[in-house]
Amino acid sequence: MTALHVVVLICLVYLLFTTAVYVMLTVIGAVESLVRRQESSSEDYETLAASRFTIPVSVLVPAYNEERVIAATTRSMLELDYPEHEVIVVNDGSSDGTLAALVEAFDLEPYQAFVRRVFPHNEARALYRCAEYPNLVVVDKVNGGKADALNAALNVARYRYVCCVDADTWFDREALLKGMRLAVQDPARVIGVTSHLTTARKPEQAMAMPHGRRRVDLHPLMAYQHLDFLRAFFNNRTAWSRGNYMLCSPGAFAIWRRDVLEEVGGYSRQFTCEDIELTFRVHEKYLREGRDYAIVCLTDNVATTEGPDTVVKLVSQRERWQRVIDETVWHYRRMWFNRKYKSVGLVGTPFYLLTEVLAPAFELLGLVALGGAIALGLFQPVTFAVMVAAIAFVNAALTASAIYFEDMQSRSYRKRDLAVLLLYTPLDFVVYRPIILWSRLKGSWGFLRGDKSWHKFERNVRAA
Amino acid sequence: MPVRAWRFKSSHPHSRLGFSRFLREYWGGLESLDRGTTCTSHETTTESVDALVFRVAVAVLAISLPAWILLSLLVVLGRWRYERTRHERASTALGSRVAERLVRRVSGNPRTEWGRWRRVAALSRLERARHPAVPRLVRRVLADADPRVATAAIRMLGDIGNEWAIDLLITAMRSGKGQRSRVAAELERLAPAPGPKLVPLLYDWSPAVRFWGATLLERYSDLAESDLIMLTWDSDPNVRAAAVETLGSRRGAAVETATLARLDDSEWFVRVHAARAVGHVCGAAAASSITRLLSDTRWWVRTAAKDALRGLGTEAVPSLLAVLVHEDQFARNGAAEVLQDVGFVDFLALDDPASSLLERIYAAGGERYREAVEARVDRAPEMGVRAA
Repeated sequence: MTALHVVVLICLVYLLFTTAVYVMLTVIGAVESLVRRQESSSEDYETLAASRFTIPVSVLVPAYNEERVIAATTRSMLELDYPEHEVIVVNDGSSDGTLAALVEAFDLEPYQAFVRRVFPHNEARALYRCAEYPNLVVVDKVNGGKADALNAALNVARYRYVCCVDADTWFDREALLKGMRLAVQDPARVIGVTSHLTTARKPEQAMAMPHGRRRVDLHPLMAYQHLDFLRAFFNNRTAWSRGNYMLCSPGAFAIWRRDVLEEVGGYSRQFTCEDIELTFRVHEKYLREGRDYAIVCLTDNVATTEGPDTVVKLVSQRERWQRVIDETVWHYRRMWFNRKYKSVGLVGTPFYLLTEVLAPAFELLGLVALGGAIALGLFQPVTFAVMVAAIAFVNAALTASAIYFEDMQSRSYRKRDLAVLLLYTPLDFVVYRPIILWSRLKGSWGFLRGDKSWHKFERNVRAA
Repeated sequence: MPVRAWRFKSSHPHSRLGFSRFLREYWGGLESLDRGTTCTSHETTTESVDALVFRVAVAVLAISLPAWILLSLLVVLGRWRYERTRHERASTALGSRVAERLVRRVSGNPRTEWGRWRRVAALSRLERARHPAVPRLVRRVLADADPRVATAAIRMLGDIGNEWAIDLLITAMRSGKGQRSRVAAELERLAPAPGPKLVPLLYDWSPAVRFWGATLLERYSDLAESDLIMLTWDSDPNVRAAAVETLGSRRGAAVETATLARLDDSEWFVRVHAARAVGHVCGAAAASSITRLLSDTRWWVRTAAKDALRGLGTEAVPSLLAVLVHEDQFARNGAAEVLQDVGFVDFLALDDPASSLLERIYAAGGERYREAVEARVDRAPEMGVRAA
């Protein structure tokens, strides 16, 4: 048996193991989706929306060079159907006209408020308020990155729960109500909530349609990103949530109890990206101290965020995602396989290590070994073809299950679009995955080199 | 089935076999490969690894392809069925057989979480149809060990909203079945009906019940005033905070005395509620008492004091001016902030920009404060033109 054979067999074992893990997570996620669906359908959102006992929330919006979208997204956040919420937009030293767009759209006037500086951040230059929306505050500060901007917003926030969102994300009117539903039920235990969101080139158009008539952006790159999001939420995160090892509250929609963020010192400015690291840090602290808590992921589709519409932009975004995963998982390596950290240590972090950090290496190794084996005549091309087909259909089946659970939960998208998405699924492995593999390899290499840059992708082009 | 059509054209060792036979040979194990006695050991290893990978891939494909087809059909058919039965499900009418089935489902004792939620869904349908068994069944769901399921029953009681539903909600409040904040939300939705039934909650042994009793009485300004005043001395700080908050919506000398006394409470969050309540109850007369809290040791008390002073408008100005020279920087900043928010500073800056009082306020607020005021004043003519 040659070394090449051994490598191929190792990759095969890895592949089978991760597939089994994904199938298991999908089954657990399915149970969670079914329970959450029943729970959500028996909820009376009207009462929640009208009740003064629904806990107020501060919505925090860090914005860097978001001139094109900031006014519209801020308005969509102000119009959320929630009894009491404030929106704090932080212009993080944008080099474009983000602040001017906000000043013009909301007729902002400068004012001075004295706030505690609990969370560290770069100098705030000015505060602005709006007569039409008294619950809107805009902070203009020196650039310091997303974590820095979120810390500045946290200092201004007045309410017990904060919802950290991206400035390029459009929300359902009921997003906060849906997100806060579980927090309201058990505020002592539920310290963090996130929910399912999707992606489109122009989210404002997708969200303008009512549920049941929404269109999926069927541009192939967007459709595959849409499917990627569905898989991430319905095949993974719902299961993580059920096992209480929810390790990623995405930056586009993450609700936190403010005192928890105070305890852990707010968002860290030492990492490329803030969201995963914060979730790891909260788990680490709470489990180390043996506290009872929950970070949950709901299955409601609450928002649509702008996704990159070219391969170059996508690679840039996913490369950053990979880098931050590598940084975080490596930083918290003491949690790996550590019983003290319960399901997070025994399931969550090993899962991340295996399927996120090491995956690019295994995938590359597998491809090179198989390619080499075929070239040397050790493997038959037909074996390779059958294997690709097998992986493609495993992937497709898992994705189809995600589409099924998403549709069962929200009934948002048109039937026709769902059918097209289903047809896209078998090709995902050969069309989309290579791009993601390349991004992940770049990200891993960037991590090894110590790259911490953000690589923000250019906003998609919109008609003036 | 024309298996011949599946013949392989490649140089694979089994390419000359029909596909079904080819699979059978692989499924049969590696012995077919071992039959070749002329192979070297290297070739045998190569072929066995190749065969192993191939077998695994075929097995995975044999499972995943039908799974994908099945799940795709489920998506399409599930959606089609949903759209077909949507109107049927929205309708409140129930056939007798369906109703019987639903009653059986609610009466059962499901062991799984999924089963418990199905029970809730069934009860919900019966409730929409005003089925006579609902009062009996809702009690069963309310007694569920899972507080989320019990909370679902509470929501239904709020929808029903009659006398027995209110009684059951109050019982749930006392017993802690389900989520108390949700019981409170439903009881408040049913106001004014529950009014007098809430007063006994103020005397419950549980502080949580007394807290919610005091909170819910905010909507009933003519009920239980003396009881609420008494609760401002309760041993539990949460109850004191709730009582003082509710008293904030009332008037009278006794209420004023009770709320003012709580400005010095040992618990910071009671002082927070007291600051807001005093602002409402006593008005400008209490401005000096509230400004005292601008230098409180707790941040949220200072914030509440600022809110209360803002609520008093320009009537708070004399008390605030006295704080501009306070030894505590937070107090000075807070006073300057409120003077800005009530419009006093902008008025002064427009009317008499050189006044010494304005300089004192700027000194209390700092350089950023001055810049903000000047920027607003610069915008003032522009805003005037726009208004005109």
